[in-house]
Amino acid sequence: MKTISNNIRLFWQGAILSYVALFHWMRPIQYTASKILMPLAQMFFFVYLGTYATSADNRAFYIVGNALQIAAVSGIYGMSMSIGGDRDSGTLGYIFGTPANRLVVFMGRSFMNILDGALGVVIAFIWGVLLMGLDLSHTNIPALALVILITTISTCGLGLLMGCLALITVNVMFINNFVYFVLLIFSGANIPLADLPKWIQAISFGLPLTRGITAARSIVSGASLSEIAPLLWGELTVGLIYFVLGYLLFAVFEVTAKRRGTLEVF
Amino acid sequence: MNIQLIRKYWRTILIVAEMNIRQQMTDGFVLFTVLFQPIIIALLGLWMLKDKGPDAAIFVVVGSGLTGLWSSLLFISGNSINFERWTGTLESLVAIPTPFEVIVFGKNLANVTQSLLSMVLGYFVAAFAFGYPMEIQQPWLFIPSVILAVIAFISFGLIIAPIFVMNPGVRAWQNAMEFPIYVMCGFLFPIALLPGWTNPISYLLPPYWAAVALHGTSNGGASLNETLFAWGMMLLFSLIDLLIASRLFAHMLYKARADATLGME
Repeated sequence: MKTISNNIRLFWQGAILSYVALFHWMRPIQYTASKILMPLAQMFFFVYLGTYATSADNRAFYIVGNALQIAAVSGIYGMSMSIGGDRDSGTLGYIFGTPANRLVVFMGRSFMNILDGALGVVIAFIWGVLLMGLDLSHTNIPALALVILITTISTCGLGLLMGCLALITVNVMFINNFVYFVLLIFSGANIPLADLPKWIQAISFGLPLTRGITAARSIVSGASLSEIAPLLWGELTVGLIYFVLGYLLFAVFEVTAKRRGTLEVF
Repeated sequence: MNIQLIRKYWRTILIVAEMNIRQQMTDGFVLFTVLFQPIIIALLGLWMLKDKGPDAAIFVVVGSGLTGLWSSLLFISGNSINFERWTGTLESLVAIPTPFEVIVFGKNLANVTQSLLSMVLGYFVAAFAFGYPMEIQQPWLFIPSVILAVIAFISFGLIIAPIFVMNPGVRAWQNAMEFPIYVMCGFLFPIALLPGWTNPISYLLPPYWAAVALHGTSNGGASLNETLFAWGMMLLFSLIDLLIASRLFAHMLYKARADATLGME
């Protein structure tokens, strides 16, 4: 019983402290710029490009795709900085030195980024409705909320894996930026999946966001939750696979770093 | 910064540019910004605009190259002075007899020039990966357009860097300033799509005139008069930017010395 309460305490402390630590350098103005205005500007860019490329009738396709893509801002950047930041700030050794349950530490780090990521997507949808004319009159809003939450969780799974890679490389931002921009193509946010080559489609279905974006588009056009349930299960499964991979990778790095004495060697 | 300084210190400018390129070729963030990001945007654009036919390909290549130029200017040139501060070399650079803005000019030259690589790579991607027949319609007007665009971007960068140094609050908006310029300057779609009230803002941005000249001469869509007008606007903005930059640099260095905050953020 004591172990459970300790783990719950560890989870909450980890969640809150890692989030506070992540934003120790970020002021409200920076948060507004990076988490609200940047995604809005990116959405505008791709929505205008998409409607210029096809037709204004396809606006909803691009708005929904790019709104969901916002989950990757917290999912990729936030998560990898939460995990990889320990190496930069010299606290990695303390984490490896504690007897704390690594899985609980991981879950704690993810929790706030999931909430923050989901909030970012909600804000993007609000922009979509207010500024770009997105019609949600046929949308089952609770079902859309569930899609947003699950998509954010699965994207954070990938971010967790990226965070572990941040423990062994100095070019963290290169990898994060690369994955984030590649998702703009591979997730189907801006290009219908059917238009992509088969090999890209195969990779797309192994990535988070892909099924979530498809599900969100269906929900916005009036589909019911039961119709998109298989997509949501698929999205959740993909996310969990990345979580497990990230956790295993972290365990491997811990053992390797301790054995070789390369804990904070860049 | 003025033309006399550039004439007098052109060797220094070239050396600074060379050293900057050598140094940055090992930086993952720089490589991503000047090469990978524009290529990914080019791939996206080529796929999205494929129904518009081969004519759109050269438009996408030039437009994605312009996105690379702007991102490089914003994130790399914008931080060119702060970078020296972070690495502890700012005091030395300010103390040497060579005017500081000459050093920053050389750094911006390197950033903008290396960003042009993305346009070249985009050209090959469109030609070989997508099989589009790529032809620059007015090559003799396109080349001067590229040169004037480089000058306009460097001059614009000379304003951004000291503003970011003196106003950390403005630098906080850096992440939010990337895509609006892609949108407002018509890099990948015409600004006619935007609400009319935004057009005067576009006209005040040097990258917009660079886009007009480069798109117009590459796809042959602009008349000679339109191209000449865009050139004139780029030159005009370059001169204005250089004038403002010289004031900003003088003010920044005076303030840093008076407040003794040169190496402090």
